[in-house]
Amino acid sequence: MTLHPVIKVVIITEKLIVKGVCDIIDHEGASGYTLMAAGGKGRHGIRNISDQAAVIDDFSDIRIEVIMQDRSRAETLMRTIAKKYFTDHAGITYLDTVEVLRLDRF
Amino acid sequence: MEFIADFFVRLLTQFQTPTLGFLIGGMLVAAMGSNLKIPNAVYQFIVFFLLMKIGLKGGIEIREADIAAMALPALFALVLGVSIVLMGSLLFSRLPGINREDGFATAGLFGAVSASTLAAAMVMLEEESIHFEAWVPALYPFMDIPALILAIVLANIHRQKQDDQAINKVDVGSIIKESLQGSALSALLLGLALGLLAKPEPVLASFYDPLFRGFLSILMLVMGMEAYARLNELRKVAHWYAAYAFIAPIVHGLMAFGLGYIAHLWVGFSPGGVILFAVIAASNSDISGPPTLRAGIPSANPSSYIGASTSVGTPVAIAICIPLFIALGERVFPI
Repeated sequence: MTLHPVIKVVIITEKLIVKGVCDIIDHEGASGYTLMAAGGKGRHGIRNISDQAAVIDDFSDIRIEVIMQDRSRAETLMRTIAKKYFTDHAGITYLDTVEVLRLDRF
Repeated sequence: MEFIADFFVRLLTQFQTPTLGFLIGGMLVAAMGSNLKIPNAVYQFIVFFLLMKIGLKGGIEIREADIAAMALPALFALVLGVSIVLMGSLLFSRLPGINREDGFATAGLFGAVSASTLAAAMVMLEEESIHFEAWVPALYPFMDIPALILAIVLANIHRQKQDDQAINKVDVGSIIKESLQGSALSALLLGLALGLLAKPEPVLASFYDPLFRGFLSILMLVMGMEAYARLNELRKVAHWYAAYAFIAPIVHGLMAFGLGYIAHLWVGFSPGGVILFAVIAASNSDISGPPTLRAGIPSANPSSYIGASTSVGTPVAIAICIPLFIALGERVFPI
């Protein structure tokens, strides 16, 4: 089986701004992304992922994964998101090298 | 003196009503670190249910209501929403150790309206058999939306002055759109439209009316738990927010009571309507306001405004303002 190395960018940020972040991802030419509920502890306090009633649901976190072939585009994506949102909003982003089966999908 | 005694007697009896009892129960349960959980889906359904019922009932009544009688209270609602934000912003700009943007956001939240407080006040008025026009809850958006818009506009003007450059202009249209699309207001407006255009009386009588109080008690439990949970956040910010959150609902309610009284004299606004109008002004947004402000004033610290509103403002509006304005109403009007 042949696997192809590609870049996976992970963004963990506030659910509130997820639409704006996904617009940037689309704009940078990614073919798609995966969203997951996220929670944890950081500078902006503790965020839970329990299904406990939250009066303000939009303040929970979300984890976005994007797979891209081109490393420089991935870095541009990370920079653009951080510049636009991470001054005022909670957020971290990192990238990782992963291997995919069907390269033409990305 | 008699009035103050009356208020305290009323306050004590209110603590035994399901509405307040569940609110305090929620705080106690959270304070004890209990694992009691109300699932988020249930909570969201309850918010929908309560506002749908309020909307349906309002819509049915608007069918026969005199539109002219609604116009003045609606105008007063708008005036109040705007003046609460202006007063709050001015006050916070004078206080030491306050980040201006946090001040705008807090003032905006207290100018906006809480659906849960509104529902609680309606039940308490019904328990006291005080009549009010069912369209009064429809005044909600007239106060809520202008307050949120003004707070965001003021914060942006302030930021532009500071940075000395034109950053993104405030898109008032999209704030109005987002507010109307929010879950609470959508349910209320849909209910109003259905009440107005369809004939929902059977479903109101068989489903929405009987379950209203029971669901409200669960919502109060959630609000109580949330109020306690957010108290920690409030401790980390300036104490001015807590002081403001305690006093502002009472002051805003009194202002609304005065304006409501004028409407009572001019267009025959009912005494119950005046009381409910005062509670609407006293309330501060807890469901739809915070995300709108977070998006509109991203540089403001949510801990200050949400902590102030959820931990102090909402409990004060429900536990103190509702009995206070009912007592005041009974003093002013021969109910």
